[in-house]
Amino acid sequence: MAETKKYWKGIEELTKPESVKGLAENEFNTEISTEEFLGNKENLEGSQTSRRDFLKYMGFSTAAATLAACEAPVVESIPYVVAPEEIIPGIPNYYATSYFDGHDYASILVKTREGRPIKVENNKMAGINGGANARVHASVLDLYDSTRLNNPLINGEEANWSDVDAGISRDLNAAVASGKQVVMLTSTVMSPTTKKLVKEWGAQTNGFKHVMYDAFSYSGKLDAIAAATGKRALPTYKFQNADVIVSFGADFLGDWIGQNVSADYASRRKPGKNMSHHIQFESNMSLTGSNADLRHKIKPSELGNALIALYKELGGNANGGETNLSAQVKDAAEKLRKAGSNGLVVSGTNDADVEAITIAVNKLLGNGGTTVDYSNRTYFRQGNDAAMMQLIEDMNAGRVGALFIDNLNPAYLMAGNSKLTEGLKKVALTVTFAEKENETTALCKYVCARHNYLESWGDFMPADGVYSLQQPLIRPLFNTRQTEDCLVKWMGKNGTYYDYLKANSAATANWKKALHDGVYKASTAAAVVGDDEPGFFERIFGGDDTDSTEQSETVSGGAAVDIASISSRLSKTKGGAYEIQFYENTAMGAGILANNPWLQELPDPITRVSWDNYLTISAADAVELGMENTNESNGALNGSYATVTVNGKTMENVPVFVQPGQAKGSMGLAVGYGRSAAGKVGNDVGVNAFLLMDGSHSAEVKIEKGTGTHGFACTQLAHTMMGRKIVNEVTLDTFLNQPARGEGGWNEVTEFETFKGPLTSDETNLWDDFDHQTGHMWNMSIDLNLCNGCGACVIACHAENNVPVVGKEEVRKHRDMHWLRIDRYYSSDMTEEVAEEQGISGIDMYAAMEKPSSSPEVAFQPVMCQHCNHAPCETVCPVAATTHSAEGLNHMAYNRCIGTRYCANNCPYKVRRFNWFQYEGNSKFENNLAMNDDLGRMVLNPDVTVRARGVMEKCSMCIQRIQLGKLTAKKEGRLLKDGDIQTACQSACDTGAIVFGDVNNKESEVFKLKQNERMYHLLEEVGTQPSVFYQTKVRNRA
Amino acid sequence: MVSTMKNRFTARVPHCILTIILVLSSFGSFAQDYSGDAANGKSLFNSNCASCHALNKKMIGPALGDVTERRSKEWLVKWIINNQELRASGDAEAKAIFEEYNGSVMPAFPNLSETDVEDILTYTIEGGKPDDGGGETVSVAVEEKEADNTVLLLVLAAVLALLIMLLVRVKNVLKTVKGDPTSTLAEDANVITRTALKNPKIVTLLTIFIAVIFFQQLYLALMAVGIQQEYQPEQPIAFSHKIHAGENAIDCNYCHYGARKGKHSNIPSAGVCMNCHMYIQEGTNTGTEEISKIYAAVGWDKENSKYIEGYEQKPIKWVRIHNLPDLAYFNHSQHVTAGQIACQTCHGPIQEMEEVYQYSPLTMGWCINCHRETQVQVESNDYYSKMHEELKEKYGDDAEITVEMIGGLECGKCHY
Repeated sequence: MAETKKYWKGIEELTKPESVKGLAENEFNTEISTEEFLGNKENLEGSQTSRRDFLKYMGFSTAAATLAACEAPVVESIPYVVAPEEIIPGIPNYYATSYFDGHDYASILVKTREGRPIKVENNKMAGINGGANARVHASVLDLYDSTRLNNPLINGEEANWSDVDAGISRDLNAAVASGKQVVMLTSTVMSPTTKKLVKEWGAQTNGFKHVMYDAFSYSGKLDAIAAATGKRALPTYKFQNADVIVSFGADFLGDWIGQNVSADYASRRKPGKNMSHHIQFESNMSLTGSNADLRHKIKPSELGNALIALYKELGGNANGGETNLSAQVKDAAEKLRKAGSNGLVVSGTNDADVEAITIAVNKLLGNGGTTVDYSNRTYFRQGNDAAMMQLIEDMNAGRVGALFIDNLNPAYLMAGNSKLTEGLKKVALTVTFAEKENETTALCKYVCARHNYLESWGDFMPADGVYSLQQPLIRPLFNTRQTEDCLVKWMGKNGTYYDYLKANSAATANWKKALHDGVYKASTAAAVVGDDEPGFFERIFGGDDTDSTEQSETVSGGAAVDIASISSRLSKTKGGAYEIQFYENTAMGAGILANNPWLQELPDPITRVSWDNYLTISAADAVELGMENTNESNGALNGSYATVTVNGKTMENVPVFVQPGQAKGSMGLAVGYGRSAAGKVGNDVGVNAFLLMDGSHSAEVKIEKGTGTHGFACTQLAHTMMGRKIVNEVTLDTFLNQPARGEGGWNEVTEFETFKGPLTSDETNLWDDFDHQTGHMWNMSIDLNLCNGCGACVIACHAENNVPVVGKEEVRKHRDMHWLRIDRYYSSDMTEEVAEEQGISGIDMYAAMEKPSSSPEVAFQPVMCQHCNHAPCETVCPVAATTHSAEGLNHMAYNRCIGTRYCANNCPYKVRRFNWFQYEGNSKFENNLAMNDDLGRMVLNPDVTVRARGVMEKCSMCIQRIQLGKLTAKKEGRLLKDGDIQTACQSACDTGAIVFGDVNNKESEVFKLKQNERMYHLLEEVGTQPSVFYQTKVRNRA
Repeated sequence: MVSTMKNRFTARVPHCILTIILVLSSFGSFAQDYSGDAANGKSLFNSNCASCHALNKKMIGPALGDVTERRSKEWLVKWIINNQELRASGDAEAKAIFEEYNGSVMPAFPNLSETDVEDILTYTIEGGKPDDGGGETVSVAVEEKEADNTVLLLVLAAVLALLIMLLVRVKNVLKTVKGDPTSTLAEDANVITRTALKNPKIVTLLTIFIAVIFFQQLYLALMAVGIQQEYQPEQPIAFSHKIHAGENAIDCNYCHYGARKGKHSNIPSAGVCMNCHMYIQEGTNTGTEEISKIYAAVGWDKENSKYIEGYEQKPIKWVRIHNLPDLAYFNHSQHVTAGQIACQTCHGPIQEMEEVYQYSPLTMGWCINCHRETQVQVESNDYYSKMHEELKEKYGDDAEITVEMIGGLECGKCHY
């Protein structure tokens, strides 16, 4: 008997039988939106066009379009009417100038092509900060940012300058008449001439004040230095003289007090007896900490006590100093004592007390003049938090009649301080000078559209005796005016700021030479300031009103510092269960260039995450708090969200990143993100840490797990090397005392057992060798001891080679286009030796090796195309798009590439990048500013092709520079000299880690480096015979 | 006449025309008092006088077309060879003219002989007269030259047609003699075609033949896509390279100064034109028409011989002829300075072109071929000194070192 059993096709059939029935009858039960693309239904029905007609028209138009496409377009070529003498089309000109955005300062050269600035290079003549960081290298793109202000604004509406001038003059007169204060609020001003001008302008009004505030303030440090030395200015730190460096939370290789010390530091990191020893006490894993020989994890609140302990160990009298790192402090003290005046202790907080102890420790070491130079001050940070707080109070009390804000975005930097915005509303006249709209411009009545630094005149005195000039490299692109020109105009002076600068500059007598060099060495500070009065800076612009007429040269010059009371105050610092340490990361710094896509896409050297900031927490805390990082099936990294409460302010949905080496109980959060009015690229990327920050760089934090997961754009999945020799490492002791080569040597060449006996991979290869003895043979050496991971080379490569920006979603799919990446490896607690001891082997051992240590050592390794002489990519290309050159390079002909991606699959170094999309002129990739509008395209290097969709690309070893170098030598009829050709990454690297040259020239540096016993090839055993080689990393753990 | 010949295929014809003009012009009528060689006079005039004088208008100096009527021959010879001496000698006429032209000093020409001066003066008389129909002669000559082939072909065709007719007649006569029915030419053709079309072998061969021709033509047509050889666009100014580079023998690098220094051989700015055309205000081909376009671009006041202040300069929009795709990197200085290649190697007989056209195909095959054949300047350039020794070791002492041998065929040398 047949059963009439009803089988449901799904639960829906049971619960909603009518919908299933409907579906069975009509598959598309929502109406297909044909109307959208076929237009008006009535029109369509009324139309006489039949299907056949449609096909006819379509066929005809296709044929017509095809025919039309055969006709080559007429290209117009428009020469100058009167050609400028210095411009020859196709030949770049370099001009020296200075970069300063209120935060970063660098003395730079800018390459211009046909009058367009396209690339920033380091200025080797600079007395200080001649090495530009990643942000300065990227700054050239900001010139061509289409979101720049085209005109000044009045109440948010575009206006013309005459209305702005008249309005400000009228309102200023009213403010002065009311007897209220007129305040100029700026970032640190390093320009003596600007200061003079501001002073002159301010003198026209009563009650004028100039307040300086730094984006990431070191005001406390400055106060302590003022108290100890009588002068509120930073000393010059001389890392080149330091045998032992002990840093308490100072990220001096990353972002610290503005002085770029990486070259000086690197000069003592070359392996040998002279190598410096670097100990780092810190909570976050910073760039500096990851380069340290010894790194000790410490919570931010304990830094003070550790310093006191050190002070006591060195024989100082102080209170407190209890710390659970006493052994490590003792060790540091011993080493410092041994180093004596060649020891250096630095600290990195905004806490005057911490700095006071640091100064006292350095005084005990007697390193004044050797490693800490108080007779030559630097002026990178001059901000005064107290003055800023006073200003906010004055504004709220209605005591401020006019506020002029220049080069500063207080509405963003003090986002957590609601009194600022309230106060601004009570000021009758608010003026801000800004290049782009930002959080502050929205709150000001007048916005004076500023020039970009590449359009401005200026001068800077970054340090005593060092003077640099800024000159415009291009006519203003928009209807803008530089701040100083506004002041000159408002003062009714004749001429422009250029005239004023030229008349008042310290280099007036040698104007042309100074402009050419960009820098000018002045013999004394007073000469540079152009003011004979001593204490010029402090009296007019410094925070303290007490005038210090004596020029204190030593620490002892200042008022007696009461270490006892400071230390007892400091030792009582209470830390919470969790503490947050705010920091500046490599890409964003203080967030001034947040709208720069090159920087947003620059992976953080430590976390390797781009397009984000996040709460870094230790693995132990993550477990405790139930937070985790997981990977999706394609490797994309996800993280939990946290709700963070600091100083009574709560922020939700802060992504969590588990950071090896993070001190337990501490968390890090980078500032510079979470901009709300930076522009289309920078808006809403990450969270704004300034909302939580309250002056201090660290605070107690309450943390809870949030809901949902966050997607990171992380470019490196592997944390460790899993026991392989990727970064070859050795201790200084072994390096000095044991053989490098040969069996068991610290730089042993891998050998294979063959029937002919043990052979190296070179001797066992299948291929015929290319002739590399004739002509040039380009090689590159990368010294892993000198590379500190700063990322300047990555940006330089981006700018030089027209590398596209792909955006967060694409990076998340590992489709980032960087030709040069800096791999970061953590050490693991598991090694083969440990495994043997513990009796672990096989997969368990390797699984354990994948886990980074909780206190890892870190290694950075820049990896670009290795230009293999037996290149695996070349043999698999079906169309010979990638071929080998006699000069040892692996060429890539984009137009020949058909996009099979075989080469990328066969590359053991994974350095090939595929253009998955058309990144140029594509509205889907608007973030790719340099290629998506006419303005942005001006930054492109005209000597390098912009790649199309579907082709592979990779490092070309800057072949355009090689060809240019060779051509220059040919034209001059001379042999090519070593150093004539520098790749973009090499010239951006101020530590000298990257050396490029011709190994067939036996005099060349790279030839010598190739003979160095530290030399090794990456994955040498694969037998690819790369043209790039590395120098073994040597750690001075002693 | 010349400027109307836009057809690229006849681009080289103007050269012949001008040569003919030159030849014809040397057989002009003779002046009564002045019996010098006008042709020599012209060349002397152009090289010595033309920067300040024109024949029929005032420039820096007075117009010279009727100078022989205004002044005596003796006076003119003295004045031209050394006018300062003449003035110093107290000649009233000389002083007066000096003052009339606001004391602009005319240089002395001690290098000119009296015969030379007479030649020049002869030219001032001859050159001012209208052309005596030389142009017409030339155009006739050109027509004849073009007609030559056609006529020959027509004659040939006629002869062939005659031959066919003759043969048909002969055949018919023979058939008539034999008593067979005769057929006309059309009937014969019809029969042959039908028979042929019924023969499968012939049809196959014919089809193959047609297909081969078709595909060959298609291939050629497709391969020619993007190749703009002989591209000769109309330029905003009818600038003649023939006059500048050919007749006046101005070095290419004078105007295209970028070619030996950098990547681009720059189109000269109007400022460069003004170096000469500040003085040469009338052209050979087009008179003032084209030169005034330069003045309009830079803002030059011809009447007062000075730049107009505050003039909004108008760039000249030239049409680019040689367009290399962006994927190929080409550097002029590499070839001109380092390679010592003459401009004409790639650009053709520029000095003969009234209007420039693209001489070379600019295809990769063309580049590569040259790189295979061209020798490197290894001897004269110290850059190669070390490399040359190594290359000699590799290829033998007297091997010719071509660009290919130093890596000139590698992709990355041009594509990056």
